[in-house]
Amino acid sequence: MAKGRPVVRRSGLTMPVVTARFVDNAWRRGCDFVTLDLEDSVPQHLKAHARSLIKDAIPKIERGGAEPFARINHDYVEADLEAVIWPGLIRVKYPKTEHAEEVRRLDAIITRLERERGIRPGTVEIDPSIETALGVAHVYEIAAASRRVKEFGATTGGYDLSRDLGVEMFVDFDQFVYVKGEAELAARALGLGVRAAPFVANTTGSVSDGKRAFAQAEAARKCGLHLGGGGLNPAVVESHNAGYTPGEEDVRDARWVLEQYRRVIASGETWLEIENRVIDAYEAARARDTIEFAAACRERDRDKAEAVARTQAALALGA
Amino acid sequence: MNQQRRSWLLTPLSRPREVEDAARCGADVVVLDLVELVREEEKHAARLGVAAAIGTAQAAGAEAFVMIDPLLAYADLHACVWPGLAGVVIARAQTPSQVEEIAALLGELEGSRGILPGSLEIAAALETAAGNQAAYEIARASPRVRTLTLGRADLVMDLRPEPCGEIHLLPYLMQRLVIVAGAAGATPIGAWWRSPDRGLLATPQNTGAAARRGRAIGFKGAMCLRANQVDALNCAYARS
Repeated sequence: MAKGRPVVRRSGLTMPVVTARFVDNAWRRGCDFVTLDLEDSVPQHLKAHARSLIKDAIPKIERGGAEPFARINHDYVEADLEAVIWPGLIRVKYPKTEHAEEVRRLDAIITRLERERGIRPGTVEIDPSIETALGVAHVYEIAAASRRVKEFGATTGGYDLSRDLGVEMFVDFDQFVYVKGEAELAARALGLGVRAAPFVANTTGSVSDGKRAFAQAEAARKCGLHLGGGGLNPAVVESHNAGYTPGEEDVRDARWVLEQYRRVIASGETWLEIENRVIDAYEAARARDTIEFAAACRERDRDKAEAVARTQAALALGA
Repeated sequence: MNQQRRSWLLTPLSRPREVEDAARCGADVVVLDLVELVREEEKHAARLGVAAAIGTAQAAGAEAFVMIDPLLAYADLHACVWPGLAGVVIARAQTPSQVEEIAALLGELEGSRGILPGSLEIAAALETAAGNQAAYEIARASPRVRTLTLGRADLVMDLRPEPCGEIHLLPYLMQRLVIVAGAAGATPIGAWWRSPDRGLLATPQNTGAAARRGRAIGFKGAMCLRANQVDALNCAYARS
């Protein structure tokens, strides 16, 4: 991804790298990122085979303009990293992180593999998942353990955490206030990208409900959050893209706020009440953020569309 | 601390008239602001008015605190440490060392200006993520730290409403602050705001509701930005 541009990671799919039809069609899904999975979705007897597939799967993901990520197994760090650190890979997701030491070990191995394989040092990010009580207890040290940790949160660990702690998953109130708070405070204190999920009730447990996915993404956007955690079903990708992208009305409103803020500055006040809203430096900052992120989303969507067009053209030639 | 500190009303030092109004409206504490509500180019003039403003607050029976900018601590403290001052609120308190530095300066100024040594208090406003992460260390950085608040963390950290009406992350941060304050021997102040309230536009009714929720989770008083919120805070945080 080009430098200096804000990261746009609204939508993603996690897929077993051993399921060829998922990987081969991933470029059609419109994802900002795709996570090639070696962990839960790959049965034990296929782990070795799965490792052998990653290197070739990475360019297949890039065909749609998505960023290729890989999820490795907590217990096979060496073998999995050997198999996934190839040019093009952007991020390694490490499940069930419990200690900062684990992250430092990943960092050391990735650093060696980057050197050996001609990848620019520091390219590959580490995404430590917090999925157990021990992970929650060490959340700040884990997030601070490596400069490769660029974004952080406890949004995707729900299932495993609920198993570890005996917390029910599908309830109509926020059962992870503390866990999510600890992770988000650590992320913010360290200046990392914040991946957080405002509470939106999911009492059915559906992972393919597009409307619910949209509501979740929209709630995050309205909280000022830009980073999605991805999903498992292609049905949610477009909902996540749409929910995280500021709409035209949001951009118009943001421009109005900036216009009004100019009036505040001209008035010599620090804030004014205009049309029942407070207009001050904070509102202006939010408005600027909305406008900038909307532009970044547009650019990302154009990049993806161009990648898809190139792939279609290549396929047409080949056919 | 014998005084009741149910309501802490913020008022810009750049507006002497507003200071007078604030002092007269029944606030237990008037917080004379040198940080957020005073434009950069007005700060110098605002600093010159602190001594008079402290007198105005005291004459009306309110305690006077000054809200200072830790990055401008030297100038702000020299401008505000005068007899009659109860203490300072450190806006955007980030690190224990900041607090130590400010506490040391307060000690020097107490000595040179004839104020009882150790009497000036610090209220730390933990408005940033780093400040909240280091909350316990900040609270323990000086015996002068008697009060903790999240201040305007919702704005400084850009925390916005979730669909359920809670402000993102604040339920966690509020409870964390109450525990940290208890552990460090400080008093937590704040109110449990919900959407669509926003400090400057909250009605007296909504202020009362936020204060009752705040009291229920352990806050002992709250800051506010408008005189019409003071009665609601005094009522909700009255000691029974």
